[in-house]
Amino acid sequence: MDRAFKARLEARFGDVASGPIRQRHDETELRIPAGAAPDVLRALHDEPEFRFLMLSDLAGVDTGEQMQVVYHLWSETTSDWLRVVADGISRDDPRTPSITFLWKGAEWMEREAYDMFGIVFEGNRDLRRIYMPPDYTSFPLRKDFFLPDDAARSPGGGVRHMERSQAPQGTPAGTVRRVKA
Amino acid sequence: MTTTSPPGRHASADDPRVLLDDEIGVFGPIPPYPPRTEREAEFYTLGDGQMFLNMGPQHPSTHGVLRVVLKLDGEKVVDLDPVLGYLHRGVEKLCENADYHQVISQVDPLEYVSSLFCEWSPVMAFEKLLDVEVPRRAEYIRVLSGELNRIASHALFMGWFALDLGGLTPILWSFIERDEIVEMLAALTGQRMLFNYFRIGGVNGDLNHDFMSRLGDWMSRATEQIESNLTLLNGNEIFVRRARGLGVVDTERALGLCMTGPNLRATGSPFDVRRAHPYSVYPELDFDIPTRTEGDSLARYLLRMEEIKQSLRIIDQCLHQMPDGPIMAKLPRLLRPRPGRAYAAIEGPRGQYATYAISDGTDQPFRMRIHDPSFIHLQSVGLLMQNNLIADTMAIMASLDPVMGGVDK
Amino acid sequence: MTAVSRAWGRLTLPGKIVFTLVPLLAALGAGLVVLIALFGGTAWDLVLANLGIVRFLAAATIILVITIPIAFLNIYLEMKVIALMNLRVGPDRVGPWGSLLSVVHGLKVLIKEDFTPTGADPIVFTWAPVVTYGAAVMTLLVIPFAPGLYGQDFNIGLLYFFAVGGMGVVGLLMGGWSSFNKYSLLGGLRSAAQIVSYEIPLTLSVVGLLILAGTMSLNQIVQQQSGWFTDWFVFRQPLGFVIFLIAATAEGNRTPFDLTEADSEIVAGFATEYSGMRFGFFFFAEYVNVFILSALTVVLFLGGWNAPFPFPALSIPLDPGSLGIPLLFLIALVPVIGTLVLAAPFYLVRSSMRWWVALIIGFVLFNVVAGGLTFAWAYVSFDWVAGLVWFMAKTFGFVFLFVWMRGTLPRVRIDQLMGFAWKWLLPAALLNLFVTAAAVVIVGS
Repeated sequence: MDRAFKARLEARFGDVASGPIRQRHDETELRIPAGAAPDVLRALHDEPEFRFLMLSDLAGVDTGEQMQVVYHLWSETTSDWLRVVADGISRDDPRTPSITFLWKGAEWMEREAYDMFGIVFEGNRDLRRIYMPPDYTSFPLRKDFFLPDDAARSPGGGVRHMERSQAPQGTPAGTVRRVKA
Repeated sequence: MTTTSPPGRHASADDPRVLLDDEIGVFGPIPPYPPRTEREAEFYTLGDGQMFLNMGPQHPSTHGVLRVVLKLDGEKVVDLDPVLGYLHRGVEKLCENADYHQVISQVDPLEYVSSLFCEWSPVMAFEKLLDVEVPRRAEYIRVLSGELNRIASHALFMGWFALDLGGLTPILWSFIERDEIVEMLAALTGQRMLFNYFRIGGVNGDLNHDFMSRLGDWMSRATEQIESNLTLLNGNEIFVRRARGLGVVDTERALGLCMTGPNLRATGSPFDVRRAHPYSVYPELDFDIPTRTEGDSLARYLLRMEEIKQSLRIIDQCLHQMPDGPIMAKLPRLLRPRPGRAYAAIEGPRGQYATYAISDGTDQPFRMRIHDPSFIHLQSVGLLMQNNLIADTMAIMASLDPVMGGVDK
Repeated sequence: MTAVSRAWGRLTLPGKIVFTLVPLLAALGAGLVVLIALFGGTAWDLVLANLGIVRFLAAATIILVITIPIAFLNIYLEMKVIALMNLRVGPDRVGPWGSLLSVVHGLKVLIKEDFTPTGADPIVFTWAPVVTYGAAVMTLLVIPFAPGLYGQDFNIGLLYFFAVGGMGVVGLLMGGWSSFNKYSLLGGLRSAAQIVSYEIPLTLSVVGLLILAGTMSLNQIVQQQSGWFTDWFVFRQPLGFVIFLIAATAEGNRTPFDLTEADSEIVAGFATEYSGMRFGFFFFAEYVNVFILSALTVVLFLGGWNAPFPFPALSIPLDPGSLGIPLLFLIALVPVIGTLVLAAPFYLVRSSMRWWVALIIGFVLFNVVAGGLTFAWAYVSFDWVAGLVWFMAKTFGFVFLFVWMRGTLPRVRIDQLMGFAWKWLLPAALLNLFVTAAAVVIVGS
């Protein structure tokens, strides 16, 4: 845990952050609204006190209530992984700016997030489905997508862990698994 | 018009992308629907004298079921469009519906040539979620088996790379080495390929006599064996000329492409998660991070070969420093971590494997994101091309060493 | 009548076949005898009058037939040698050390479906392998295997060789174009570009040799290299030899110049869409080409059928005919006595050995000894046996070299391939030609 780094982050991004900066193990978490992601990431990338040159990961998350895009960054200036959580993306029409202008390599990761969650990255010039077939219409990693597993619909469903979370067809919307954002 | 696509989604007859081979009903690489993105429209528009070549999903040198649409101008590759998903299993979704122990066997087949690393990062992430301290002996065993797996993976890379350049022999020579390692890991873990060995809080089994005797036997001649394998290619003028100056990338661009691992280190950047963000017992071990500055295919190859030697050093130290003690932390059968988020990255043979796990307090991960280096590196194949030839496409792809199991998840 | 039909009904199927065939053959034989008696003399006169044509037809038939064992041998050699280089076992199931595997492969391609893909041009697609194989077989016609053992001795033999050998690429191009497959197309075009480029250094590299030899007849070129091995043209044309060997590798589409069928890039090149015996023809042609190019290298540069050093003229005054009746006894008794004599030591020394095992060993040993002696006698007595032995030894040495290269070298890139032909081989060939010509002028004047 790099306390000094937390202080630096608070000083620089305290006004943009949508939540407190949290630290656990070797991770520092910064929450920002999705619209601010390009500016914040550009600052983290360019400013000499941060120099986060490496985008380690870009992940989409569906919390059941909202969509998030989570960036993990690495820099020599700190011993922590920096997690930037761009939250507040609506589940009905998820849109967020793309960061391919900073990291060209984020293109496919954004495509993957689009494919799995339907998050539209505005500015990504190749936002196609990447894994699922092009005529596929749903987004598999969303929490309202249940595994169409036969076992789940069988009378013995719900005995093993694999089957418990899979709601049978026609489950009311209230059964969606949620996590506190 | 192909008859298989639904009506109303065809390209119109005056669309330049319309299939040339329509009248005889042969499928072309052009999708039978209007372009969905700017990039797709640009790619699927043929220039003067250009043609498409659809390579894969079954092609001898795509290292799995990958389809690549090449836009050719004669022998020259103008552009390429990798089409993924032929091996997609939806591992992330499967993991969200499995409990924490079951995840390990789900992620095993991702990069099937280096399975231990696929297990390692989720296990580390879950340990962070659970605040578990892993016994030191277990950490040493993880490092030991992981480095063995790294050597096996790099040995296979050498063979593949040579095979894509047209050399038949190196893959069979390096497979001997790989087979010995795989046999010894089978003695340790019970499996030859998908080991399913790491557990949350430790490893599945302690070092046994069979493994140790095989390892000792192999270690006594490993250096010599690897050196003799290297003589097949390192001094080969044709090989060196083919690989040198191919797919050059500099550090800045490589970072922009999110490249990690040997592909990044071949550009001169010393980023290695083992040193840059130490985990496990790597801080206690003495090894170098080899780097090269050329950033071409030859550098990527030579760097991996150098890494094999460093891995041998690590294995040697692990054997000498191996502490006694338990190999599993004390954990309940059913794991219910507190709600929270954890990110764990490790340095695999292809680069940084990372897992981002979210717990909602139940016995199943709420979200399990797997970051795979092959996926990232495959995307840069098209960007590293500089009007190269068809043969070079394969060589660049092979030098980046993607494994389709990991790319497609 | 009913008895005959009842007897016929009782016959088994083989019986029926025999009872049909035997009378038929008897009638045919009788007819043939009558025909020969009536027109035999005329026919024989016709053959004698057109001996050249008959000889040519016989040679062409024989050469067409021997390409098949040659290809089988080369394929087996390639499989086995590369396997050993790869530290594998290689073929080891069919026949001793797997040596019949390529024969089985040949049978397999014969019974596989000949598939013509949709969109292919069926006529060109069908004829392409024929052209390639035909060109390979036709070049073999001028290769002198041994003194007096050649298809045809043209005075423009070498020119014929290059002209006809160059036709093989037409077949590859036809196959590549007609397959309606982009891999095939690329493979066909690659082969055209490659072979057109390498024909030039290949042809130029032997011009120096032609100046020295003063003839294009392959027979005479070989004869000029008789005597000690220092008389071989390789020592007078070392640069030409190297250029020829490299260009020949490219001509034969062999590694490291096997871009036409680069399996990691364009699947199988021109042969991608071929199956069954059509593919078999392409495959055979490739291996026959390896043999032919090795043979031509040997003929031009390594003395052809000549032994590396002249043997002292030995003649064994052995005329079996003069023995008369005792010859029959000899033929009858020598194997028995030889077997017994050779079996005796084994039986006597090892008490545990059964007598019949010893007899088998003795018989095998006798065959080895007798075969060796017969071979030695034939080698000394007949020029062509000695010539054939040396020719084949040298040729398969080169075949081995080609296989060895395949086992060790990666593939070059198309631009490197072309650049090498035009920037290095061609100037070197011209230099070789210039130096040779200058030397001839200086020495001759």
